[in-house]
Amino acid sequence: MIHRHQRIVFWCLVGCIVAMATLLVVERQRGRDRILALGDQTPLEAPTATTEPVTMDFANDADGSIHAGEREIALPTDENARARALIDHLIAQYAQAGSAHPLPPGSAVGEVFLLPLPVVGYATDPKTPAALHPDRRATVLVAPKASDDPNAPAQPVSGGELAVVDLRSSFVDQHPSGVEVETLTLLSIIGTLHANLPQIEQVRFLVDGAERETLAGHADLTRTYTSRDTATPFHTGDN
Amino acid sequence: MVVTKLPDISAAQLTPGVMNRMTVVLDASHGGTDPGARIGESILEKDVTLSLALKLQSLLAARGFTVAMTRTTDAADKPGAAGTPLTLDDRASIANRARASACLQLHAASSGNGVHLYSSDLDGMPAEAAVMPWSTAQAAWVTESAHLERQLSDALRRSGVPRVAGRAAVRPVDSLTCPAVVVELAPESEDLNSVNDSAYQQRVAEAIAGALELWPTQTQPPPRLPPASQKPKTALTQPAPRVPAPIVRVPAAQVPGAQP
Repeated sequence: MIHRHQRIVFWCLVGCIVAMATLLVVERQRGRDRILALGDQTPLEAPTATTEPVTMDFANDADGSIHAGEREIALPTDENARARALIDHLIAQYAQAGSAHPLPPGSAVGEVFLLPLPVVGYATDPKTPAALHPDRRATVLVAPKASDDPNAPAQPVSGGELAVVDLRSSFVDQHPSGVEVETLTLLSIIGTLHANLPQIEQVRFLVDGAERETLAGHADLTRTYTSRDTATPFHTGDN
Repeated sequence: MVVTKLPDISAAQLTPGVMNRMTVVLDASHGGTDPGARIGESILEKDVTLSLALKLQSLLAARGFTVAMTRTTDAADKPGAAGTPLTLDDRASIANRARASACLQLHAASSGNGVHLYSSDLDGMPAEAAVMPWSTAQAAWVTESAHLERQLSDALRRSGVPRVAGRAAVRPVDSLTCPAVVVELAPESEDLNSVNDSAYQQRVAEAIAGALELWPTQTQPPPRLPPASQKPKTALTQPAPRVPAPIVRVPAAQVPGAQP
């Protein structure tokens, strides 16, 4: 014989279990939504204008040339975000069917950092951990020390910027291999940055935040490239 | 771009450069676990570059050249260290030690057609400093590299092989201390399999070997600056090179066959 109070306790426990299970499912869904929001690949600022004309240097594998083309696209106001949006738009054009320089679809750039030139030196901040890697120290730029010698030449101040383009490994690993095709991709990016952000004087490439020797086995990613107009054939011949 | 400023020095203080005029370096790119580009369905770049390198080796040896190869089999291992993959810097070291009159880096691709020739796009320097930064060691040789590229281009044109020539940044050409040209073999026609055609490769190899036949009498190594008593004035716009090891300087007397 089960007493009445035991039945009440039993059903209370069943109710609690059902309530906890419901709570668990709801919280799990909320957590999943939160993670998806963090992993959103479009962290660009909302554009302030509808569209604006930009010049892009498009590569053509057939004749190894690069030609300038006009596009109307929406760009954010922040310089770093503009640079990234420009490159992403450029790569998106190459991913379309019938492209003269076919590249794999998907986001190519993790981030673009614009640093003032001249880069005079590096130092490691002993207190500040790097944002992405708490176990590492942040790297900070150090300004040149003023010389006591009045005859010492003045430090050159160009006012230009170094663009550090952090490519995604998912893009680099899928990039077609070959001297010409890899060189065209780099020149296309450099030329597009130069045309729209003329304050960029030099360009460096990283892959997932680290240095990599080549793009896909050929084009050098270890050097600093001079930003310039690349919309001219970089080679001559009868091909 | 790395800018290197030469110390003020008179022409009389320059010493002749060192070069083994009858030595050619052939670098069959990729190999072993690195297949390089995939051309079509089944052709691997490493196989095409090795095939072309072996053909060139035979033709050059027949013309009296000493040919230094970075690899002669599929495996691309460090010399004397089987199982240790050859890095791009290792390939440059092999070429630099040979003090060759020509260094050809062989590649293959599916894009375009014919032969693509590239030399370094570094800014040239009139003389070779006693210690050159590893990442820009080619700077003193840029003029000779462009000259060699023109010779190869002309020879390929005479052979009826479509070709393009230009300048590009290809690892590890910027670290080479010899006239260096990247030779990228593309399919002869729309058929991608033509890149693996033995007759096509032989035609390209014969054109290149023919151009190199007169090259030893046409090239001149850049003059060399005497070792500075103080640290060379180098102005780098970037941090120290990733591989800061200087090029090993071998006295001319120890280089067999070295001629000024």
